[in-house]
Amino acid sequence: MDIPAMRASFAKAAAHGDEAPLWFYSHLFLTHPETRALFPVSMAHQRDRLFSALGDVVAWVDELDRLVPVLQQLGRDHRKFGTVAEHYPAVGASLLATLEHFDDEWDDDLAKSWTKAYQLVADVMVEAAEKSSAQPPWWEAEIVAHERRTVDVAVLRVVPRTPLEYLPGQSISLETELRPKLWRYYSVANAPRPDGELELHVKARDGGPVSTALVRRAAVGDVLRLGPPLGGLTLDPESDRDLLLVAGGTGLAPLKALVDQVARQGPARRVDLFVGARTEDALHDRADLERLAQGNPWLTVTLAVSVDEQSALEQGVVGEVAMRHGPWNSRDVYIAGPRVMVEDTTSRLLQHGARRERIRAEVFAPSRPGPDVDGKVTE
Amino acid sequence: MTTAPQAPHEHGDGRRLTPEAVQGLQFSRAGMLHPGYDDAEVDRFRARVAAELARLTSEKAELDGEVRQLQAHLRSLEEQLRQAVPHERPSDQAVRILAVAQQTADEYVAEAEDFSRQMTADARAQSEEQLRTARENAGAILQAAHETASRMVATGGDAMPVAGDDGPSPQELQEEVAYLRAFGQAVRVQLRSYLEALITDVETEWGHAHPAALPQEPVRTPSRRPDARVVPATPPPNVAAELPGVDDPKPGPGPAGSAGTEVSGARQ
Repeated sequence: MDIPAMRASFAKAAAHGDEAPLWFYSHLFLTHPETRALFPVSMAHQRDRLFSALGDVVAWVDELDRLVPVLQQLGRDHRKFGTVAEHYPAVGASLLATLEHFDDEWDDDLAKSWTKAYQLVADVMVEAAEKSSAQPPWWEAEIVAHERRTVDVAVLRVVPRTPLEYLPGQSISLETELRPKLWRYYSVANAPRPDGELELHVKARDGGPVSTALVRRAAVGDVLRLGPPLGGLTLDPESDRDLLLVAGGTGLAPLKALVDQVARQGPARRVDLFVGARTEDALHDRADLERLAQGNPWLTVTLAVSVDEQSALEQGVVGEVAMRHGPWNSRDVYIAGPRVMVEDTTSRLLQHGARRERIRAEVFAPSRPGPDVDGKVTE
Repeated sequence: MTTAPQAPHEHGDGRRLTPEAVQGLQFSRAGMLHPGYDDAEVDRFRARVAAELARLTSEKAELDGEVRQLQAHLRSLEEQLRQAVPHERPSDQAVRILAVAQQTADEYVAEAEDFSRQMTADARAQSEEQLRTARENAGAILQAAHETASRMVATGGDAMPVAGDDGPSPQELQEEVAYLRAFGQAVRVQLRSYLEALITDVETEWGHAHPAALPQEPVRTPSRRPDARVVPATPPPNVAAELPGVDDPKPGPGPAGSAGTEVSGARQ
């Protein structure tokens, strides 16, 4: 494999921006029409993803230690899209055709290098996918409850038809038939239960196709597809320190799962949960939180509003409110919510002497076009 | 006697037993004292027939296996051929046409999403503004009521029953406050259902959006107009319209009346 030559040829294609992936997918769909059904109607975001993934491969091709785990994760993750081993040669052929199309100096040596490199990538991905074949590629889960809590937020309860194992604080990707082929990540808001039920908090984003459909169109009886659980805010099994949890918006979900974990599995510890919203009306899970706080003496829940002067709740952004109740320097801290809130809370904590290694945070970003290996979570 | 046993003898181990040979076979007579064929010849022949049958059976099994292998090979060749046909490189022109079609589709989806985003954002901004105004109004009215109440307390508790002729009694004031609370709640409910209706409209349009359905100007949304003209041509359930219903149980004068006018005034 002539890596510098491959990088040069990739750069030529990448220099054409969106045109190169556009050409690639058109070529793929013409040669293998059956692959079209694996993708959503709009390919705009998909194209960005393909070339950034390929860019990573090309950049790391001589650092296999770093590349292989990423490829393995990609291979496993692609099972839920319905990708099978037979699709890989098809993609490889179209990739070569695309690189050739955008390279005036394409020759047989380059073709051989790329064929070999692609084969390597495909082998790693296929092998990883096959190794995880004990697990289903996706889980079908029926919606058993759908509650509109505010104008924008719904709480869904779903039950997978086959058991889905996960850790409290992890997120799962999901797809609804209402918006085919668009996968989004959501945190599960409870620890695993014997009946397998999962609680999901979904906020409808303006113009967001999946979240609005889940909040306003999805109904009890609908069946969602769930992907394997991923990353997230999981408790440090080595630590039994007390917890400080700070949530903004639907960032409450993973933190509620941690509270549930302490309640179900222990170890016994004090937990202080701060939940912030702009106005009192926007606190979408208030009743449940108050019920939890009443039933568990070790749990203190503080609700805060930032722009609702009429409210009798604590005033201020949630990070500031949490600081008022501090100090928290002995705690393990978990933060989840919008980026601004997470950054603000983290910097306040650090200013007050909290140790960075005890702070774990997850940003709930606005909807993304599809899943990637980072496992970011959408509201 | 020398001609008859030819068949059993001539078909030595190397030769195959043919149907013709069996047909033409003649056994020797056993002899005057023994009626029938020569036992030894018949036994030899039986042995040969058995050996031949065994050989044929095993050959057949072998051949069956070979046939299956060949069939599988043929199928895989056919499969390769089938895949090879579409593998023929599509023309650049075909790729370009499909690319343009895909881009067009992408643009439609993006426009529809953007349309939905603007509509929802505008509806939300409008609702929040109305909610804020309503809250301010309610706050001001409450404040006025409190001031009136404290003025009356200041003028002396004894004077209260007498002053009842001029102004509202504490009980009336309490009723007033309770009414205002209920009114505020009603306003909130109305605004929320108004916002809900708008959002539902936007939502049901998602995915149905046809480019021709998009307005020429980018969305003439209510919030682009000045607040004074906020009510759309065919408003969804609207606070002003609902107010008489709220007023009915308490048609009294004073703050109640002014609350109604103020709020509906803000919406005209």
